[in-house]
Order: sequence, then C-alpha cells, then structure tokens
Amino acid sequence: MNGFWSKGSLARYGASRLATAVLVLVGSIALLCSLTLIVPGDPARILLGARATPELVETFRQQMGLNLPLYERVFVFFRHALQGDLGTDVISGRSVTDMVMAALPNTIVLALSAIGLAVLLGIPIGCYAAVRPGSLLDQVLAVFSVSLVATPSYVVAILLLYFFSVRLGWFPVLGAGEPGHFLDQLHHLILPMVALAVGWVGYIARLVRSSLLEVLSEPFIRTARAYGQPERRVVMKYALKLACIPTVAILGVGIGELMGGAVFVEVIFNRPGLGSLVFDAIRVRNYPVVQGCILIIVAIFVVTNLLVDFAYAWLDPRVRETLGRARSGGGA
Amino acid sequence: MSYELTRRGFLAGAAAAGVTVLGQPWANVAYATDGKIVVRVDEDLQNLDPANRAGPIDVNVILAVGQGLVKFKPGTTEWENDAAAEIKQVSDTLIEFRLKEGLKFTGGYGDLTAEDVKFSFERFKPAADGSKVTYADDWAALDSVEVTGPLTGKIHLKAPSPAVWLIALADGSGVIISKKAFEALGDKFKTTAIGSGPYILKEWVPRDHFTLVANPDYIGEKPAFSEIVGKPITDDKTAQLALQAGEIDFSRIDPAVAKDVEASKGLKVEKLSAIDYVWIGPNIEKKPFDDVRVRQAIRKAIDVPAIIAAAYNGAVDQAFALEAPGLLGHWQDAPRYERDLDGARALLEEAGLGGGFSTRLTVLNKAVTQATAAVVQANLAEIGIDVQIEALDPGAYWAYGENDASKNLELVLVEYRGKFDPGFQTQWFTSDQIGTWNWQRWSNKDFDALHRQGLIEPDPKKREQIYIDAQKLMDESAAFWWITHNAYTFAFKDGLLPGILPNGNQWQYASFKKA
Repeated sequence: MNGFWSKGSLARYGASRLATAVLVLVGSIALLCSLTLIVPGDPARILLGARATPELVETFRQQMGLNLPLYERVFVFFRHALQGDLGTDVISGRSVTDMVMAALPNTIVLALSAIGLAVLLGIPIGCYAAVRPGSLLDQVLAVFSVSLVATPSYVVAILLLYFFSVRLGWFPVLGAGEPGHFLDQLHHLILPMVALAVGWVGYIARLVRSSLLEVLSEPFIRTARAYGQPERRVVMKYALKLACIPTVAILGVGIGELMGGAVFVEVIFNRPGLGSLVFDAIRVRNYPVVQGCILIIVAIFVVTNLLVDFAYAWLDPRVRETLGRARSGGGA
Repeated sequence: MSYELTRRGFLAGAAAAGVTVLGQPWANVAYATDGKIVVRVDEDLQNLDPANRAGPIDVNVILAVGQGLVKFKPGTTEWENDAAAEIKQVSDTLIEFRLKEGLKFTGGYGDLTAEDVKFSFERFKPAADGSKVTYADDWAALDSVEVTGPLTGKIHLKAPSPAVWLIALADGSGVIISKKAFEALGDKFKTTAIGSGPYILKEWVPRDHFTLVANPDYIGEKPAFSEIVGKPITDDKTAQLALQAGEIDFSRIDPAVAKDVEASKGLKVEKLSAIDYVWIGPNIEKKPFDDVRVRQAIRKAIDVPAIIAAAYNGAVDQAFALEAPGLLGHWQDAPRYERDLDGARALLEEAGLGGGFSTRLTVLNKAVTQATAAVVQANLAEIGIDVQIEALDPGAYWAYGENDASKNLELVLVEYRGKFDPGFQTQWFTSDQIGTWNWQRWSNKDFDALHRQGLIEPDPKKREQIYIDAQKLMDESAAFWWITHNAYTFAFKDGLLPGILPNGNQWQYASFKKA
C-alpha cells in the first residue's frame, strides 16, 4: 500500500475533511436561520392564515423558536439534532425526524438510480464518441448529449408522463408505489428516474469523451499501441479507467445536484420524497421542516463528497503521490 | 457453482425484468373501482380540529366525518337538519334544538349529546387567558349554550346574528365534536377526526393519501361510495395527467386545459361559478391615488374583458361589485364601466397628471395574476401610467397583511375567498381592518356603520338593501376595480356526480353520487 494510506495520514486527512464537513453543516443551518429574518412573511401568520388570533400566532412563533436570537436558534437546533431530534412540525405536530426518515428513502433511491442510469448510458456514449472523434456519429452524439443537458428534468417528466402513462398506460403517474411491494415501487420509479437522469447522461457523455480523448493522446497509450495491443483493449483496459476518474469526481456533486433536481421531479410525479417535502414546507414557511430537510440534504452532500475525495485519491495514483509528497514536506 | 454474466445474458435478464414490471396487472387499469373513488386535493390535510382548521381541504373531511345541528343541502346555500331532529329560531337571540336519538361518535366515544354541542360551540369563545381559536369570529355572537336535557339545548346569542346559520351552524365551525375524545386525545385531536357523520377517517398517511370509509353506525342516508381516497397533488398538470391516465376520478383543473381534458375518453368537465372576489385597487393613502379623479381614470382605462380573455382563457364571468350573483346583497344593477381612454386621459389632465406617472402593482406570483398584471400594465401605459409589476411568492405577498405593511403598497391585485353570508365579504373593507386585511386602507364611516347594521339585521329584505348600499359606497370611491368572482373547473369520470357547494371550495363527500 502507498504511504499516503498509512494510518496516521489517513486519520489526519479524514479529520481535516470531517472538520470542514461540520463547518459546512453549521454554516448552512446558520444561513438558513438568518434567511428567516430577511425573507418577508411571518411564518406563523402564513401557516395559520388570515383568521389566526394574535395569541395563536405568538404560540406558533414560540413553537418554531422564532422568538429566540439567531445564535440560540442554531445552538438549540444542533443540540437537539445531535440527539436525533430535528424538531416538530408545527402544523401537524409530527416529529420532523419521522417525516424526513419517511421521505428520505424515496429520494435516495431516486437519486442513486438516476445517477446509476446516467453512468450506465453516459459512459458508453462518451466512449463511442471519443474513439471516433470528428465522425458523423461523434457529431450526432454531441448534439444528442448537449440536447439532453439542456433539457430541464421537469419538461422531460411531463413528456414522459404524457406518452408512457396517458397515451400508452405503461407506467403510473402518481406516488412511489406500495410500501414493501418491490415491483410496484420499481414500476413507479422508472419514469422519475429517467426524467432525472436524462441531463446527466449528456453531461457524463461529454465529460467521458473529452477525458478519454486526452488520455488516448498520452505516451503510455502510444506505447501500448506500439506493443500491438488491440485498440479495443487499449481503450477499455488502459484508457477508460483513467478517463473515468473525473466522472467519479463529479458524482459527488452529482448526487447533491440530483437531490436538488429531485424537487421538481418529485412534485410532478407526486412522489413523497425529501424534495417535495422541502418544497411544500418552504411554500408555507414551515421552518422546522425546512431546517430538518436541509440538514439532511447538506449532510448527504457533504458525506458523498467526502467519499468521492477518498475514492479519487484511491483511484488516481497522481493524487496519492501529490498528497504523499505534501505529507513528507514536499521532497520527492 | 459459478455464474458468468455475459452481455447476452444481461440483455435477456433486463428484458425479462422490463416485461415483468410492465406486465403487472395494475398497468393500464384505472385506479378507481366500484364503490371507491379517488379524488385529488390541492394540499395535504393539516388540522382536523373544526375550531382551528386550516382551510377547505380540512373542512371537507371534517364535514364528512362529523355532523352539525344543520348542514348545507347538497349543492346549495340552503340548510337542512343534520344532527338536529328539530331546530328553530325562537327569538333574534335564541335558538332551540333537539338532537336525533341514537347518534354515536366513532372510536367508541359514546353517544352524541347536548353536552357535546355545548362543549363544541363554547370552545369558540375566548378562554380565561384571552386566547382564542382560529375560527373564533364565526361564533362571535355566541353568549352561551344551555343544556336543558340529554338531547336538548338552547343557544343564546349576545345580539341578533342572522349570519350565524350560514357561517357557523351549517359550516365547519358548527361541527359537533366529542368532548370525551377531545379530552382523551389531547394534541392528537387535530390529526384524528372523530365524529358521527357518514364517513370515518380510516387512515391519513401524510403527504400520500387519506382514506374515508362509510360509517356503518351512521343513521342517515348511506353515502354512495363506500370508500373515498384523497390524494394531495400540488401540481395542476400532474393532476390532469393522473385523471387522463385513470388514476384519479375527480379533480379541480386549470380552466385553460378544460377542452383537452373533455376530449379524453370517459371524462367530463364542469364549470362552477364561484363567489370569490378578485379586484385591483390602489392604496388610497398614497399620492396620487388619494385623488378620486385618478382612481376614476384608471377604472376607465382597465380593460377587464381583455383580462378575462388573456389571463382566464375566457373561463370566468366579469364581476361588477363585491357580492357575487346568488348571494344575498348581490347588486344586480351595479354600473358596467366601459373602457374610455379619452375620458381617462381627461380625468388625469384634470388631476394635474396629464404627463402620466409611475407606480407599482403588487401581485401573487401565479400565472393568472401575472397575466392579469401584464394586461393592466399595457392598459395603463396607454394613458401614460408606467406600471412596474411586483410578483411575490405567497409568503411575501400575504405579509402585507401584518405589521401595517400595506401602507407600502401602491396598486395591488387581491383575491379573497367568499362565504355565503354577505357580511363575511364586507368585513375586510371596514376601517378597523386597516393595517391587516384592508390593504387599500380605504376608510368610510358610513360603510362601517352599514356593515355593523347588516350583521344584526334579521329581516333578509332589509339586509339585502344594506349590503347593496354598502357596495354603492365602494363604487362611489372608485377604489375597487372588480375583475371576477372566479369560476372553478372540475373534471371527473363519467358516471360520477360530485357534490360541490356553490363556492367551489367545499366538497360534500357524502353527496358524491353515481350518475
């Protein structure tokens, strides 16, 4: 094993990334809390409606912690969050932790399956385009990829629903399927997954193409070809592995982006996921629910990026080498 | 044993999985079955406590599960007995009732008695610490409920209040709750509907659905559907597609897509004129809107038929006054102002504003309101008024109703929901509402007096005249440029007859019938 992966350096690297992650979490919640001071509209009044009495409004303000100073709200929120308590939904009185945990699996399954589909389709498209640069096929795939990137997921969602649900009747329109019924859930997952993945298929295809073209011009590829290795083997075994490294790097961002993009898809498909939960909560300024959801979304984003950083260092020997040099004081 | 996944094997497996999923028996099969319907609701349930309900979605379930002394006759604004075997207005301030025998609350909470009626209605009075329930105003006239027997009682009012029948007794605030259930359930009461009505709330899976099933112990006419599932769908387009795909049986739809939906096999579309009030008006404390000539000029310049054509797709009727047709106090002879640009320019000239001016129009960021604002912007540009449109999200928009924020408004497009008693509509325009819901800060002492008089006048003929006179004062002020009373468009499966009250918001689930 490379020196970079010695126990001490791994612990130091992990600790520094973890500290950053905690700062990001605290910062995002502090920012969210401060936004509640700036954004117009008293959440209590919006929630309770025009007819709410001042006493009821005040009670709600207290329940939401809006009467506390900003630093205290952030502190109280994290103190409870560390005990697994994300607060209480002031409308229904339900636990925000329960609400988030009920919604989270739907969103995670959607985001992971979408990114999986995007990788599954994007990498072969990118490879085909890269091994035939400038060809008609490459140009067609370029137009195709850019079109996919440029098409918003909610437009794709509506079109998919119209053709596959209304016209053909193959897929259901609403919901995430019967809990515990795998095939029903899969049936409900397919259209939202495709809608969410489409943009990323184009993006990954473009990324793999440019990355693969760069790797294919490296001296070691020339050497492999000079040794008479078949082109298919050169591309698939030697070049593609390196060309995929930037793709791995963007997957961390991708998961976060998909969690955000899931909002539209979940609203359109009426999936009870985290995206639609936060959307509904923001509309009525239900801040305890918004805070709980944002914390979880940011945490997923941070953890995913952390894992990608480790994976990146593991996959790319150049990164390992750079970090190893930095640890030993820069000398090689 | 080892297994090597080949490309051919993978493709065959994937194809088999696809066929399995697509070949499920539920594919292409309507969700609705005999005896069960699926209805779309715009939002999820929020609070099932009648006194603190959040809106029509809640009240529709509350009224399906519970009973009042009286209820609205299906599809009308008239009432009929519900839990009451007999109820009569003995004097202007006294109502006597006798309950039907054998009414039972669900969940094992026992018989419905006059004690429950007393508990249910007196909750609307301010508590000892001064705190009030959300809908306290509905029972503002209530003095006390006197229990005279297990099934009999008297409702004493502080002052005559003809509105109490339509606003309180027949509506959500008149639903009788179980005192025992309220005390036993505590905070869970708002998420657990207990009643004696035609339906039982079998389950509520937040953000997914709620299920009403017929109450076997209900002693009235059994509902036509044994099960009604409500699915919260925020997005209109999704609801439309779900209808066309056969997953839901009933939904309110965007009027703009009515023709498309009607063309779909097995679906019907029905338009229902509502009793809302949508208008544009100025903050009359702000210059130059404090000058009646400027207000009259703008009224002459705005092209309401063009707004209805552009923003509403022609699906609504034009409004000419506050109270909608069909309501007591509807002003049949309200003036119909024709567009008159020359007259508008002359009035501005007279007001010393011949060169025009700039102003801001605040609207909610909905497609319809923004389209309305765009038409108004174009209309007023023709008389030299430059309008900037401020489109706000609901949170920011409704914040103008608090902390005297309305003093910062210039022009505003407002849409309020109506109720069946005219006094509900006039209350938002009184002087004491300035700073809260009288956003135009219009103050007229004669109007205030008429509003107060209308609340206590028992004679319907006299009440009608009072509200017409009040609307004349609004018209004289030229501060209210009425657009529409709205209309709701509903789509539903052939074979279904939905039960909807004339305001379009309140759906009587127990009145949904098979055609």
